[in-house]
Amino acid sequence: MFSIYKKELQSFFYTPFAYAISALFMFLFTFMFNNALGNLEQADFKFTFPEIFYNVIFYFIFLIPILTMRTFADERKFGTEVLLMTSPVNVFQIIIGKYLANITVFLFMIAGSLFFPIFTALHGEVIMSQLICAYIGFFFWGAMFIAIGQLVSAFTENSIIAAIIGEIIMFVFIFIDDFSQTEFIAQFPHIQSVIYAFAAQPRFAYFSQGFIRLSDIVFFISAIIVALSWNYIVIEKRRWNRG
Amino acid sequence: MITIENLTKFYGNNRAVNNISFTINDNEILGFLGPNGAGKSTTMNMIAGYLPMTSGTVTIYGSDISKEPVKAKKNIGYLPEIPPVYPDMRVKEYLSFCAGLKRIPSAEKSSEIKRVMNLLKIEDVSHKLIKNLSKGYKQRVGFAQALLGNPKFLILDEPTVGLDPNQVVEVRQIITDLRKEHSVIFSSHILSEVSAVCDRVVIINKGNIKAVDTIENLEKSLGGNLVLHIKIKGNRSTASNVIELTDGVKEITKIEPESNDFFNFTVKIDGDGDEVKNAIMTELISHSVQISEIYTEKPDLENVFVELINNTSSKSGMQELYDEIKAENPQDSDSDEEVDE
Repeated sequence: MFSIYKKELQSFFYTPFAYAISALFMFLFTFMFNNALGNLEQADFKFTFPEIFYNVIFYFIFLIPILTMRTFADERKFGTEVLLMTSPVNVFQIIIGKYLANITVFLFMIAGSLFFPIFTALHGEVIMSQLICAYIGFFFWGAMFIAIGQLVSAFTENSIIAAIIGEIIMFVFIFIDDFSQTEFIAQFPHIQSVIYAFAAQPRFAYFSQGFIRLSDIVFFISAIIVALSWNYIVIEKRRWNRG
Repeated sequence: MITIENLTKFYGNNRAVNNISFTINDNEILGFLGPNGAGKSTTMNMIAGYLPMTSGTVTIYGSDISKEPVKAKKNIGYLPEIPPVYPDMRVKEYLSFCAGLKRIPSAEKSSEIKRVMNLLKIEDVSHKLIKNLSKGYKQRVGFAQALLGNPKFLILDEPTVGLDPNQVVEVRQIITDLRKEHSVIFSSHILSEVSAVCDRVVIINKGNIKAVDTIENLEKSLGGNLVLHIKIKGNRSTASNVIELTDGVKEITKIEPESNDFFNFTVKIDGDGDEVKNAIMTELISHSVQISEIYTEKPDLENVFVELINNTSSKSGMQELYDEIKAENPQDSDSDEEVDE
């Protein structure tokens, strides 16, 4: 497992990939940060980092499929899946190894964003408790979507298609919240509550307001477990069907 | 010892491998021969534990590949048809990654990598990106990966494809050297290669085993087609009478006059080549026919192969062999085991 993790990290950091994606993320964050500062001058307006996070996440979510698109698609494309499958490691270890590597790159990206609170703390005041909560929420949010992106990558051997399908799924996850609020769905309160339960975005909102709710953490962790188990099933199933 | 029993693979309704059984003994090189699409790669993928089988078992040194995959895979080195290399890695990095996958203790890692790089002569490219290597080098890097950790059982799927003639000789030599401490199964559709390296061959077509035997036995079973070339000086009709009447001669297929009194005879013989050859020589000399040249031609294995694969055989000898093998190998399961025992 460790060797897979290490190899994945190498493939991220020995190529410009991890740096490019982190730079893109920093760019988005800077953009939001500047907007917030701009608002500050115009009006009697305070800004908080959780708000920035909340805004950034809409853009950030589209970076995740790019991070995860190669995870399994490239293994199939280059025929290296055979190597992994015929080595004395089991499929579960392969999935976890790759997942942890993706999470590590994600943490690298988050670490970059620490620049802004630190910079602000030098010139103003940062509410630490809220900031920490927002980071925890951001982490869980990302971890869940990485698991989903990784799952999508296992479906195809074309990483671009994996990215596109991933984007669509991310899109659905963003709009599921609004969708559950439509009048049509509101006619069926039971269905509405079920759909709403799947909306990850309001859950992040709680984190960004400084709440750590057990139900939210359970939601994110179970989503991760479901996605990774599905990932396992997809890979095993393909071995059976492969022609 | 590696035992393959009643291995079957269906892709949907399409039967890719049909109930095949054979064993690979310790320190043996087994050739796995068949035309493209015969089910060679599917079988090898199943033996290596990449593809699950529809039914049947593969036992590698006592561990069933589907029940104890991790334990069984520790003894396997596998070189698939397409070398499983990452284009964005350097050769040494790649081998180091593979060593980790194979759980080689970190203390032995660098010496082990050095050993396989030395064996396959890829030291000079160790710092190159794999995507910049030629096909032959990629193949060798893939081969090096299979040898890492010195697994007891090696599965090589067409290891010499894409190599230049020099490299082919080198790789064959490596495979031959492996015999000392490994069991090897290696597939090919080139017969000369198999006969140069292997102890035994399994011939497979359309998912069915056509023959499991040593090369010598395969040749022997072709005794009817052993061909004798004789060049004589003297009377043509005397010579042809004498030759025809000698025990073990099947027929004279061709008589070619060369110059003056010289004639070239091409004779099909039955049974042991040397005995028949000696008998003919004695007879010819006693009839005062001078022999200027006599030699037996090895039966062409390439033909055996072709005939085994295509059952629309025209030659009677080949047809018999084919029928014989077919009789030993009916479609149902039980008798397959008899073939390799």
